[in-house]
Amino acid sequence: MRNTFFVLLILSILISTLGILSIYSATHDKPGRLWQDIYKRQLLWVSLGLSMFLIISHFNYRRIWDWIYPLYGLSVLFLAMVFLLGITRLGAQRWLKIGWFNFQPTELTKLVMIIVLAGYFSRKSPDNISLLVKRMNLWQGLILPFILVAIPVGLILEQPDLGSAVMLIFIFICIIYLSEVRLRYIIIFLLTLLALTPFFWYFLRDYQKERVIVFLNPNIDPLGAGYTIIQSKIAIGSGGLFGKGWLSGTQSQLHFLPESHTDFIFASFTEEWGFLGAIFLLGLYYLLIWQGILVSQRTTDPFGRLICLGISLSLAFQVAINIAMNLGLAPVVGLPLPLMSYGGSSVLVTFISLGLLVNIDKTKNIF
Amino acid sequence: MLRLKIFNIGITLIFLILGMGVFNLAFLNHPKYRELSKKNSIRLLPQEGMRGRIFDRNNKVLVDNKICYDVGILPQEVENLDELLMRLAKLLDVDFQRLKNEFGNGYIAPFAPVTVLKNIDIKKAVRLEELKLELGGVIIQPKLQRYYPYKELASHLLGYLDEIDLWRLTRLESYGYKTKDIVGFGGVEERYDYYLRHEEGGLSVEVDHRGRFKRVLGYKPPRNGKDIQLTIDLELQRIVENNLKTKGCVIIMEPFTGEILALASYPNFLPSLFFNKKNYLISSLFNNPDAPLLNRAISGLYPAGSVFKLILACCALQLDKLDIHKTFFCPGSVNIGRQKFSCWDTHETQDLFLAIVHSCNIFFYRLGTLLGPNLIHEWALKFGLSKPTGIDLPYERKGFVPSPILRRVYRFQNWFEGDTANLSIGQGELLVSPLQMLRMISVFANRGFLVKPYIVKAIDGRDISDYQKKIVPLGLKEKALIYIQNALRSVVSNPEGTAHVLAELPVAVAGKTGTAQVEGKQSHSWFVGFFPFEKPRFAICVFLENGGPGYYACLLARSIIEAMYNTGLLN
Repeated sequence: MRNTFFVLLILSILISTLGILSIYSATHDKPGRLWQDIYKRQLLWVSLGLSMFLIISHFNYRRIWDWIYPLYGLSVLFLAMVFLLGITRLGAQRWLKIGWFNFQPTELTKLVMIIVLAGYFSRKSPDNISLLVKRMNLWQGLILPFILVAIPVGLILEQPDLGSAVMLIFIFICIIYLSEVRLRYIIIFLLTLLALTPFFWYFLRDYQKERVIVFLNPNIDPLGAGYTIIQSKIAIGSGGLFGKGWLSGTQSQLHFLPESHTDFIFASFTEEWGFLGAIFLLGLYYLLIWQGILVSQRTTDPFGRLICLGISLSLAFQVAINIAMNLGLAPVVGLPLPLMSYGGSSVLVTFISLGLLVNIDKTKNIF
Repeated sequence: MLRLKIFNIGITLIFLILGMGVFNLAFLNHPKYRELSKKNSIRLLPQEGMRGRIFDRNNKVLVDNKICYDVGILPQEVENLDELLMRLAKLLDVDFQRLKNEFGNGYIAPFAPVTVLKNIDIKKAVRLEELKLELGGVIIQPKLQRYYPYKELASHLLGYLDEIDLWRLTRLESYGYKTKDIVGFGGVEERYDYYLRHEEGGLSVEVDHRGRFKRVLGYKPPRNGKDIQLTIDLELQRIVENNLKTKGCVIIMEPFTGEILALASYPNFLPSLFFNKKNYLISSLFNNPDAPLLNRAISGLYPAGSVFKLILACCALQLDKLDIHKTFFCPGSVNIGRQKFSCWDTHETQDLFLAIVHSCNIFFYRLGTLLGPNLIHEWALKFGLSKPTGIDLPYERKGFVPSPILRRVYRFQNWFEGDTANLSIGQGELLVSPLQMLRMISVFANRGFLVKPYIVKAIDGRDISDYQKKIVPLGLKEKALIYIQNALRSVVSNPEGTAHVLAELPVAVAGKTGTAQVEGKQSHSWFVGFFPFEKPRFAICVFLENGGPGYYACLLARSIIEAMYNTGLLN
């Protein structure tokens, strides 16, 4: 439907524009051409993303159905390649160098996993075209799909990227919940997870443990691991009602706030645009996420419905965790703020997801 | 569809929580975080002004400021700290461990310089500056420091500088003083600290996360302290201090106005010792039994001895209590009550005039009994005893004049005739400061006026003498004054006079000696007087603590007056 297309187009352009303004503000006076041109690169990514958005919204998403497992295989392959050929940055091995472009396979995996899970749970019985999901037993309804998720999650944890791994698990739980798998199985899964939590703690890297401890009390190590949280809270808190004005935020301009153009872009945005700006941005995100839910309610195809919900979910999860981490309400994990944070992979994948939403909405009308 | 509804509500809830989180930080806690953000990025760079200088009456500098240097280390630029400190220690000739401790105590952050050694002289600073390229991370910070060109000269009346103590801080907080301020201790530095002190100015600058300068936000220029001109004459002060080499003090005053021309107390101290707080010599100053920090001229209290007799003589003449031809016989000693009081010689028959000349104790026992203790007390107070003279120096003590009433009130004891006798010759419980005695003798020099001594003539170029001067007429009879003046002259000119050693001076001196007995120790030696006799320009008080008979004070007075004559100060 045209309506969804324009709403999503306007929302995504608004958010990306705010993102580029904030990236410019946070980096324009850092020394070196690389830093000063970073907003141009983001501009390029957004343009690329927009064209992807247009392309994806114009072909039938049902064709993906046949490509689910090849896509799955490809993304696992990419993740595996990260180990062999990946670039280490900021202590984590997350990037693949493809030509002049550093590609982050994790971002792609997030979307692919949504599609894979949506496909898996919308399979229909060949005899009476009813959904198989209602009759799935423990093995089919829980263990098999979990193995599908666990392979990429394991690879992502090894990078290490705790945030994305947790996000995939979360998406898995939400999709089995939304695809009407028996509540019993979900409860079994959650209880198992809970019981295993102490073991996870044991497997966490030292810096990850530190982040969790610091999240619980940032003042334990104000110049070390707690520094970012403290500076981020100061940035948001000092913004006040109207903010310090664009290019006038002292926390980001004077570089007290690390990662002010990527993970902590929300803090530098709020410092300059204030409480009202932040509420406006939150409103934009809410509308964006709500579009996915609206589309899912309009579509009759269970595959499309689950994809829509999955996309809304992954956007909501990233927005929520990223902003909560900026506010000091969640531990620092490397999740970007969709469309705002600098980063090509994330921007591209987000635009592709939005394109899928438009596509699903349109396809419904054809039927 | 129930599951979807729950899901939708969940997403809305999450957004509400996020919104509330932002509201909490950016709205409710905004003031707190605004301050934190300012603290992050705004630094104050203090800029010191110059403390006011102190001049003598002829505009010669007594206390100045000069540039000296602090050695600092910028931690973020140091590669090998131990090696750097080792080389510094060798170069500056200090202990390596001491530098290391200073560095450890002063360290704040990598970008904040740590001062490891203060007040090095310019030669060492230049040598360091030459080596600066080799010794990365060393900074040499110039700063102004008090400079005393004449070392110990006038140390008591000038005072010294030190970090403010708790007692002063509590008193001065409302005047804008802060902890760690450098303030004057003792003397003019303390009394006029408010005028002398400079106001710190500074730059407020914006810095980035590594403390690098970004831009200037504001500038408040420092304010220099006000210069002060004293009534002290540097030449005279030097003469006095060159002669005063035993425990005691010498004060010279202009008798008509109260301007202090010279004030010296011995032992004295070096004010520059206090720059380095860790100097062991400081504690020896405080522990020395001779109390070098005590200004004996105003804070030392002693029995007045025979000098006090002048008050009795003046009282008797003013109130006509004594016929000037009345004589008493001095047999060398006399019994008053059950006590035996002796004179220092046998003077036989003499009148008041000769009694002053000889300083006869027996005569004044008699006169004291005649006047009675209450009248003596009243007249002592009239001459400014038992209360501060009002000189503009801190820690002046007021002394004590006993009387029957005070004895009863404070000690619950009776007053005996022996006490009157003791008081008459300035002994017993009587305590005076040398400055009070000088003020007393000035009354006879200026013919009947009690002056307030003062030491500061001008502040910041503005003459404040008119505010300082306070001259109280005592209403004494001309006849009595002339009588005592002549007697004081005779003390010097009469071959039998106690101060006859001063007779050969080229200037006519008048004065009175005193020998104040101290139990178990040598007596205090007094000489108070004025000169030239015909037209007094100087009143002098020489006091030697446990210095023996008054003769020794006279000797000191003689050499001072001689030196004054030789340098032409008397012309």
